[in-house]
Amino acid sequence: MKELEGRPVFTERDVAKYPFISKAVEYMKPLDIDIDELAGSDYDKILDRAEDRIKEAILSNLVSKEWSNDAVEISSFPIAVMMVAAAADSFLKRRYALAEAKRVSDMLKEERDEIIMGIAERFNWKIRSVKINVGSLTYDFALHFTDFLKNATVIQDKKWKLVNRLVSNGEVYLTKSETSRLLEEEVRRYIEGKLDTKVGLLPQGITDRVDRLKRLFMEKRGKIRFEEFPRGLVIAAFPPCIKKSYDTIASGRGISHIGRFALTSFLISIGMTVENVIDLFRSLSDFDERMTRYQVEHIAGGRGSRTKYIPPKCDTLRTHGVCPGMNEICKRIRHPLTYYRRKLRTIRTEAPVERA
Amino acid sequence: MKKIETKTFIKDKFAEYYKKCASIIPSPTSIEKREFGFILLKEKIMLRHKSFRSVDDLREFLKTTVPSDVYYSGAYYEKPEEEMEEKVWLGADLIFDIDADHILTPCDKIHDKWTCNNCGFVGKGATPEKCPACGEARFDEETWLCDVCLESAKRETMKLVEVLMDDFGFPPEKINVFFSGHRGYHLHLESEEILSLDPAARKEIVDYIAGIGLEPEFHDLKKIRGPKLDDSGWRGRIAKGTYDFLLKATPEKLKEVGLQRRIINVIETHKERLIKSWKEEGPWGIIGIKGSRKIAQISAQRQSVKIDTVVTTDIHRLIRLTNTLHGKTGLKKTEVPITKLERFDPFKSAVAFKEGTVTVLVSEAPQIRLGNEIYGPYEEQKVELPTAVAMLLLCKGAARVAE
Repeated sequence: MKELEGRPVFTERDVAKYPFISKAVEYMKPLDIDIDELAGSDYDKILDRAEDRIKEAILSNLVSKEWSNDAVEISSFPIAVMMVAAAADSFLKRRYALAEAKRVSDMLKEERDEIIMGIAERFNWKIRSVKINVGSLTYDFALHFTDFLKNATVIQDKKWKLVNRLVSNGEVYLTKSETSRLLEEEVRRYIEGKLDTKVGLLPQGITDRVDRLKRLFMEKRGKIRFEEFPRGLVIAAFPPCIKKSYDTIASGRGISHIGRFALTSFLISIGMTVENVIDLFRSLSDFDERMTRYQVEHIAGGRGSRTKYIPPKCDTLRTHGVCPGMNEICKRIRHPLTYYRRKLRTIRTEAPVERA
Repeated sequence: MKKIETKTFIKDKFAEYYKKCASIIPSPTSIEKREFGFILLKEKIMLRHKSFRSVDDLREFLKTTVPSDVYYSGAYYEKPEEEMEEKVWLGADLIFDIDADHILTPCDKIHDKWTCNNCGFVGKGATPEKCPACGEARFDEETWLCDVCLESAKRETMKLVEVLMDDFGFPPEKINVFFSGHRGYHLHLESEEILSLDPAARKEIVDYIAGIGLEPEFHDLKKIRGPKLDDSGWRGRIAKGTYDFLLKATPEKLKEVGLQRRIINVIETHKERLIKSWKEEGPWGIIGIKGSRKIAQISAQRQSVKIDTVVTTDIHRLIRLTNTLHGKTGLKKTEVPITKLERFDPFKSAVAFKEGTVTVLVSEAPQIRLGNEIYGPYEEQKVELPTAVAMLLLCKGAARVAE
């Protein structure tokens, strides 16, 4: 393959590990498979593995790294992508893409530098292998800062802030494990993109599997949402008004317009993503994804005036009946966000939280 | 004596400038994809969502409309003349704004005046957050340009250029520096690789440059060792800042920044050893980890560049167009080659009205320098001034035309 010239040649085993790399296309074009042939019994192994990949993503948030047959493993990836795309559930899509991406970064951490370079270049990263010591720190790679930023800004940890990195001459210095973590983000976005493909009519054998997966996902949905709460976001520090609105919504019941506004702006202010907030409203009977997305994005400052809203003051919330009554902390503050910050401080001093 | 209305006079002068100098108004890259905005001189309103197919169309517009201020978007749009939602954003240059307003200057902005909108309380210096008399937070401000302010802004700009070249690896030819026409400098970066960066990525660049969220432990500040003077990036900056801090700090200063007595004693008794230590492991082991982190943190703040953080993260921002006039000063936004930045004098090079004099009645104005001449201070007096000085006073609303 011309585009891989001068780069390491990936073996069939490599492609089984990283089925999205260019060479995988040689084996099979995703979503361009002879569907009828697939439904035949020869392909049961591939379909089984494809279904398993998704099942593993739903249940343990990680696609397993053990397989016996490389060819089956490779083919199962595009099929799994097709199945998730067919399920057409944005929450599942995100969950699956993340699980596949985590599998990739786990394996990359143990990988030879050439393989990491090969995969990084697959995504057009400007990366060099360096191997240098600076003071007591050792670096393996130097990555152009724009490639770093495209992937690091979603990671909520001080260590990933550009200002806390060694940056020189346009490059950010990274260890092998950090490079793998950044590639995880790139792979996740790549797979999410693939999952947005429209899928045509599928044979019965496959739709049965898709339906089975959808049922499994519906069952686990509530539990998963809880798990996916961003680290650093502490429900125990929510003020009573927000806690009440949050619990009401989580149990599938509706709340007033100002209650929704207060809850959404609060969650966004303390670092929850737009996606996560939308998911929270998903269990409501009158849930309308397009409308909810519009409103949440508007509050997050992504639309219209680009003002990022913060929750109303306690006074206002009291006037509109959102306040369920004050506790001791409430008496000393005038804004729900102040409550959260104070409470967080007391929680943190009680039990120090280790920074990752 | 016929009273000439100040606004009419300013408009005539601005019109003269745009008639004569339209040809030096440059075309921004891909002018057809940029949004333009103008402040209208008499109405004082903002006209937005304008677009031009060529620089000639723009120049023609300037000659006929004669706006007080001219802006264009750092962003490129498919349909720049549409409302925000419909524009279709294609990318944006990376823009930095360094304004004396955001820098603590040695002049303490004593030349600035603020008036509380609520109770009418008047004060000098930088505008407070809240009125000391009534607690309201809305003010009318009267700001002046002074050499000290502008010199501080220039120093910050030079620091910024250094970070962009050394840390971010931008070649000097992609870094364009401008005097804004008022109290600061702008820096534009046009480069393929930064076009598509989203606000979060731009915020990271801002935080890096301004040292926001910096924690010395991530820069290898450990118990007995830490960054060295010739290290790259923030490591080197922390070391240089610490070197500088330890060299100059008096015991009072050390106390003021919140260091413990024990640490202050160590620093005071080992001054010589601390300086020599830079040849080996650095002063970190001598001072101890707690004191080192504190000093590194303070030093880092001094090494950071005081940029207006909002301008760089806003991917829809409008910025002043090169060689157009600033409505508050009558000076022009002027490009400054990086190599000439250090010796750049805005009161010489940014002057748009170089000929003639105007007699004005000045109500109140501090001292003003133009080139090598000094004018003022004035209070309630009639003076004949070079046009540039008169225009500055007229634009600031500190004088009216006397002829």
